[in-house]
Amino acid sequence: MKLITRYNRVNLLTTIVVMLITGFIYYQAISLILIKQLEKNLQVEEDEIFEYVDLNHHLPQVFKSNDQQITFTEAKPESVKREFINTVYHNFDNPKYAKRHPHRDNDEYETGRGLITSVTVGDKYYKILIVVSTVEAEDLIQIIFGITAGVILLLFITLYVTNRLLLNRLWQPFYDLLKELRLFNITDNKDIPLEKTRIDEFEELNQAIISMSTRVKTDYKELKTFTENASHELLTPIAVINSKLDTLIQTDSFTLHQSKLLSDLYSGVSRLTRLNQSLLLLVKIENRLMESNEHIDLKLHIEDMLIQFEEIFLDKELKVSTDLGEKELITSTYLVDILLNNLLGNAIRHNRAGGEIRIKLTDSLLVIQNTGSTDALKNDEIFTRFHKSSESEGSGLGLTISRQICENLNFTLNYSYQVPYHTFTVNF
Amino acid sequence: MKILIIEDEKGLRESIEEYFTEAGNICETASSYQEAMAKVNIYSYDCILLDITLPGGSGIEILKYLKKNNNTDGVLIISAKNSLDDRLEGLDLGADDYLVKPFHLSELRARVTAIIRRKTFNGNNQLIFNEVNIDLQAKTVKVNDQSVKLTRKEYALLLYFLANKGKVVSKNAIAEHLWGDGMDLANNFDFIYSHIKNLRKKLIEAGSNDYIQAAYGMGYKFTS
Repeated sequence: MKLITRYNRVNLLTTIVVMLITGFIYYQAISLILIKQLEKNLQVEEDEIFEYVDLNHHLPQVFKSNDQQITFTEAKPESVKREFINTVYHNFDNPKYAKRHPHRDNDEYETGRGLITSVTVGDKYYKILIVVSTVEAEDLIQIIFGITAGVILLLFITLYVTNRLLLNRLWQPFYDLLKELRLFNITDNKDIPLEKTRIDEFEELNQAIISMSTRVKTDYKELKTFTENASHELLTPIAVINSKLDTLIQTDSFTLHQSKLLSDLYSGVSRLTRLNQSLLLLVKIENRLMESNEHIDLKLHIEDMLIQFEEIFLDKELKVSTDLGEKELITSTYLVDILLNNLLGNAIRHNRAGGEIRIKLTDSLLVIQNTGSTDALKNDEIFTRFHKSSESEGSGLGLTISRQICENLNFTLNYSYQVPYHTFTVNF
Repeated sequence: MKILIIEDEKGLRESIEEYFTEAGNICETASSYQEAMAKVNIYSYDCILLDITLPGGSGIEILKYLKKNNNTDGVLIISAKNSLDDRLEGLDLGADDYLVKPFHLSELRARVTAIIRRKTFNGNNQLIFNEVNIDLQAKTVKVNDQSVKLTRKEYALLLYFLANKGKVVSKNAIAEHLWGDGMDLANNFDFIYSHIKNLRKKLIEAGSNDYIQAAYGMGYKFTS
């Protein structure tokens, strides 16, 4: 879920809830105030009746006006308790009323508020019922409520839109940063280009990321230097072992057992040498120390290489078929050689006796396919360092080097498996 | 031939010295910059094996000094640095070849022989060994004036053996010489065997002696 979605969801939900609650309270408050107002009117009317009775000693004439009705009924003395009631208001055929509320049917009952009180005129005790219609008050409430709801809705929309715009703008530095982080490459020498922001949090994040990337790169550089130095230091002792072996086999005659031991020593040393050279090579490629601009006729190059491998093809009884188009690269011959050597070498090494190798070259891609084991390789693992099959005699660095070369040359190297071919594709 | 080995690593220096020392060869050694400078100033050599990293100075400085004084000694750089730049710098400065550590002594020997051959046989490109006659320019081989048709690899193999006459050359060294880096592809050296067998057969059929012998299953020896 996107932050903005989440934020909007929470924000809108709370806004709705708060608005519903406040709306309810608002409605109640206005109703209360208006009822109070009506009751005040009723009291004024009551006072008028009392004044009239005090002055004239008889009940006043009842007029049907001001949307109010007054009725007097005789009652037993002291039987009436003064109270406000919710009641109905019978709207008699009142033209004034009808004119004001044309949409309502005349002669109907409406809700009303009443006041029951009592008065004593002479020796007679009367119950007084004063009723006013609350329709007008309700109309008022409705209007107020309508306006309020409108305002709320407007506010709501405004909030939503501004939030959306604002949040998108506010989070822009974050998204920029994310983009840069995705592009971050530890072997790259350039820093993460970060834009200045006035928001403290983002500025802090930027700073943290800059310092982190610097630290990571420094560590990585140190590790690389270490690898390079270690490999270099190893070269001399390996050279000594190698030369001593060469000297040793000149000395005397050896038994079969001894010569077998010596052969094993030789192959061990030569593996060590290759591993060491691969490590050094990888460091060099990563450091982009091998860049140059030579024109390479890739077709010719591949054909040359196939001639080089001829004896090995024969030895392993491999059938090689090619479909080579013209392709020119402008880069380092050395790197291309290593790349081709590794890919072709893998195609040979992991092939079965009597297997097949297919090479296809077009303007946009180079495909090398080989038969071999019947299981697909794990795409994400084969390009990692020192990953190799248990029976492999290689250094486990070949594909890592190949991919690194492709990265340096802005090519992509991919693996796929479709029975019976393991396929490596270089996209130029 | 007279060779100077400038190498600070004792083990390696001694091995090289031992491998090159034989009748007709003089090997001298130097283990530091100063020692090396002293020797190149007094004597002249057919070939100088020059390590780049030396105590007391750089091998590159020695090379520069040699070239400044129009010294015609052959120079083969042996270095642990396998970078294109170093190689180019060395060759630009006038070194004859550049060999990266670690290497097989037989490979070193082949390179040194090639350098000395280039220096001494001015214009004459014939390499003669008993009844075998090799035209280095045309890359043709004759035995008793009878032409022998060799493949590229067989020809390279013959030159390699001739440079390492009387030495046991390991299969690894042969394979690396003939196929370079592609070598780790083969799990066994059977296909070297077939090359050697063919070469041997062709030479014998042309009337040459059988010079190539298998040595205890781990290499071959070109006897003289």
